[in-house]
Amino acid sequence: MESITAYIVSIIITLVFLFIAAIIANLIKFEGGSKPKDPKIRKRWFWILCLLNPVLIFLLGFFVFMPDGNVRVVKNYITALSIGTVAGFFLYILLGFLLSRLFINGKLGHWF
Amino acid sequence: MDKLFVIAVGGTGMRCLEAFTHLCAIGMFDSKEIEVLTLDTDQANGNKGRVEKLIQLYNRIKTGGTPNANTFFSSKLNLYRFYTNYSGQGRENYKNISKLNTGTPEQQKGNKLISDLFLDNDSVQEFDLSHGYRAQTHLGSMLMYHGMIEAARNIVRGTDIKVQEKELDEFVTKLELAGQDARVFIFGSIFGGTGASSIPIIPKALQDFIKIRSKGAASIDFSKAKFGSTLLTEYFTFKKPNDKQKASKENSVIADASYFPLNSQAALQFYQSDPTVQRCYKMLYHIGWPIESKPVDTGSTQTITGGATQENAAHITELLAACAAYDFFTRTTGLDVDKTEYVYKAVDFSNNAFSFSIHDFVGNGNKAGERFANKIGAFFSLAHISLTVNNAANGDTGIKGFITRCQEQKITQYNTITDAECAEINDYFKAFAYTFENARFMPGWLYQVRSTVAPGTFIFDSKAFPDSLSELKKLDVGTIFLDEKNHWPKGGILANRYDTFVKKLINLGPGDEQQVHTTKEKFLAHIYNAITQSQGFHLI
Repeated sequence: MESITAYIVSIIITLVFLFIAAIIANLIKFEGGSKPKDPKIRKRWFWILCLLNPVLIFLLGFFVFMPDGNVRVVKNYITALSIGTVAGFFLYILLGFLLSRLFINGKLGHWF
Repeated sequence: MDKLFVIAVGGTGMRCLEAFTHLCAIGMFDSKEIEVLTLDTDQANGNKGRVEKLIQLYNRIKTGGTPNANTFFSSKLNLYRFYTNYSGQGRENYKNISKLNTGTPEQQKGNKLISDLFLDNDSVQEFDLSHGYRAQTHLGSMLMYHGMIEAARNIVRGTDIKVQEKELDEFVTKLELAGQDARVFIFGSIFGGTGASSIPIIPKALQDFIKIRSKGAASIDFSKAKFGSTLLTEYFTFKKPNDKQKASKENSVIADASYFPLNSQAALQFYQSDPTVQRCYKMLYHIGWPIESKPVDTGSTQTITGGATQENAAHITELLAACAAYDFFTRTTGLDVDKTEYVYKAVDFSNNAFSFSIHDFVGNGNKAGERFANKIGAFFSLAHISLTVNNAANGDTGIKGFITRCQEQKITQYNTITDAECAEINDYFKAFAYTFENARFMPGWLYQVRSTVAPGTFIFDSKAFPDSLSELKKLDVGTIFLDEKNHWPKGGILANRYDTFVKKLINLGPGDEQQVHTTKEKFLAHIYNAITQSQGFHLI
């Protein structure tokens, strides 16, 4: 049960971060000029959030959602949280990549 | 479908042709292939050189392309150049070219008497013809006719045919092939020299050219041929020649702008009463500037008689002349008349300035005014994006920025457009709008036209014409129109007009109905669609 909590936290935070990255990408305006900087800025924000995502998953999971229970329960939870953190990191990249391909001509296309 | 022919004569004719070329660039002559002939006595004339370079640039942009619809550079222009040759020995002035001193003594006497009857002996018969006819229209009409007939005879003879004669021959061949389907519009002034001399005689000269070349087998039937022209009266002035300039033999006959109003009146009387003109021309468009004309030679200490230095700035009357050509080429009625029809319209004049609305250029039937504004606005916006936003005016990449943007958006079909091709489009925009040379602002055609109307209104907001770097940086390219309903949409609180425009650009593309084939044509059609849709004109 505690393990499921860890995975759900990972998924929810990953989706929230992805949503934030998409909002930021859309808020960054298309620039004119011969060398517009907006694609790089979108990309930078995507990767910044990509790095923050596992940190927040772990910190929230550790300090907010840590279950009260015996050592075995906590140990299982920490293991699940660690897996969830790593999975969240890769899930963010995977979903980001899919969204980027789906909206390839739009602002999200700049992520990859 | 009628075949379109344009003939530009003299300095003013060249500037009208410049305006006409810009109308082609903004896309006013969809799906048309237009044969253009420049006709002058002054091979080195600055205005002639400028418009020929402009058309050559237009054609480089159009390389490999075909006429299209609803896009920029939608028509195809074929340029032919003819000039009367007054540079060789024995061709410098009337006396030499007409060989007054050859033949028997009796013939020489007769030639001299008839020449002296019409042309002043010391001045008109002896001035250097290479700078045009210097407002001596009686001499000019005869010599221009002679120049074209001489070319026809040289072609028939088949020896020593000059390049300009070959080009005239090609133009006339196209005209002859078009037959009754030809619509010929002639640009020129009626108050100066070369244009005023040539407009009355060109239809007849072309008719005789065809007769001579075909040895009488072919001709032009003026009851069916469709000729139109402008009656363009004085709209600019220049320095009166000073005594020192007049004292030199070569300048003893010199155009004097103070006589332009008188020349115009005399010419109008002539056009009203001359039976040849009345028979040849179906439509004559009255265009004038009924307020004080501005000088065009503020930087010069002498009267410029012609040559490379005669490169006058553009004026709105030339745009109106080009719009007259548009009317002539697109009208479906009124061309089956036996006698010339005169066409004119008035523009609102208040507070000592003209106010031009979008309906004052090509009329307002079938939303023509909106279509014109939509096209010229789109081209002007694109010029500003290229020159101002993408900074081509200061040597940056300009239109290439759009290709970069498309690449960033993974739209890769325009990647094959080269830097050189982009530079040509940028150069066209510089000629159309503005540029900087050695950090000095140089107004292009549209800025020059706008300045002749100021402080009156002219299609666009005056803020669309900044002329300093700091003001240009502040320009919002989506707000060039006076009417806010034609501004590009803002797209919400956190977006801006340019952002919304790029989103539109991404979601659109060229359409089949635009008949675009080359990559460059597709690229221009794509941008055209994005800008025109952003402007929100209701054209249906």
